[in-house]
Amino acid sequence: MALLDPTSLELSPRRVAPVRHLARRARHTPLAQAGLVTGFWMAGEALVRAGGIPLPGGIVALVAVLALLASGRLSALTVRRGAHWLLADMLLFFVPAVLAVLEHPELLGLLGLKILFVILASTTAVMVVTALTVDLCSRWRARHVDAIR
Amino acid sequence: MWTPSAESTAQLLFWSGVTVGFYLAAKRLYLRFPRWWLSPLAVTPLLIGTVVLACHASYRDYIGATHWLVLLLGPVTVAFAIPIYDQRNLIRRHWPVLVAGMVMGSATAIGTSWALATVVGLDGPLRLSLLPRSLSTPFAMEVSGEIGGIPDLTAVFVVLTGIAGAALGDVILARLPITTAMARGALFGVGAHGAGTARAHQIGETEGAVAGLVMVLVGLLNVVAAPMVAHLLH
Repeated sequence: MALLDPTSLELSPRRVAPVRHLARRARHTPLAQAGLVTGFWMAGEALVRAGGIPLPGGIVALVAVLALLASGRLSALTVRRGAHWLLADMLLFFVPAVLAVLEHPELLGLLGLKILFVILASTTAVMVVTALTVDLCSRWRARHVDAIR
Repeated sequence: MWTPSAESTAQLLFWSGVTVGFYLAAKRLYLRFPRWWLSPLAVTPLLIGTVVLACHASYRDYIGATHWLVLLLGPVTVAFAIPIYDQRNLIRRHWPVLVAGMVMGSATAIGTSWALATVVGLDGPLRLSLLPRSLSTPFAMEVSGEIGGIPDLTAVFVVLTGIAGAALGDVILARLPITTAMARGALFGVGAHGAGTARAHQIGETEGAVAGLVMVLVGLLNVVAAPMVAHLLH
């Protein structure tokens, strides 16, 4: 976690009001940035509920943030650290849901073995199909499309 | 207005503390001993589950006190905008190939999960809960609810897929005639979400970038397509 903060290295000019300087530094902490991301999520939820949009609020907010980033209205610097912080600790946020397995003791028997079989066999199929598709398509494109350009 | 009782406040603090504490401990452990079977994905739920059982608590008590953590998956979904934005050059250059891989991979995930579950005699919400298990958790739980599955069970299956998928991917790569880094990355991103992406980062820079991007995009694709899939299934 030794993230080098360039603002911590430079001496703050005496003229800069200390409060403003602190406020600026605070905006770049992962916590404050994660708060901003949470604000976007709440806005997305509110928009979906008000407009009757048949999509999750988080998805609408994701697309909105992407549009703001792409149009240059939002700098990636103001959200990147917070976003990485949320993504890196995602397991913490869904581990309580995983504990639902305690309510399903039947999964420890034959049923669990059946499920495990489905997961292993299906995951193998997904990986083989995905890798072969991407490999064939990218080799085909390298030969045909890139040759035309 | 709802006022928390002293007991529920104590429960909230205790179970939240247990969850955060064991999560951090599991992460530390994995940093020290990076074996796949010591992955925090497996160790954290095991540790917390042991405490819940030892305290003779029910899942209802536990989730009542820690549901606020699950709510934070909402902001996590929004945070996925950053990896998409950061990989925009990769999208611009290779989007047809990535879309082909994601569509074929998703169709295979849904088709083989449904067919294999039917073969071994699973049906109802349990079978539906298996369909989105290759996606990253926030997307998988969303899709599960949309198509009539049980989101919490899907979270369990997502974890199992992640633990198995990272190891399974290595075995498959050793046996397939794959030559491009893109294909290696897509295999892990589409097949085993975040756990696969972590493995792809160990293999190579391009593999990791492709896996991370494809994991997010395939999640988005499935959430958007979920109402259509639900319509086809019912």
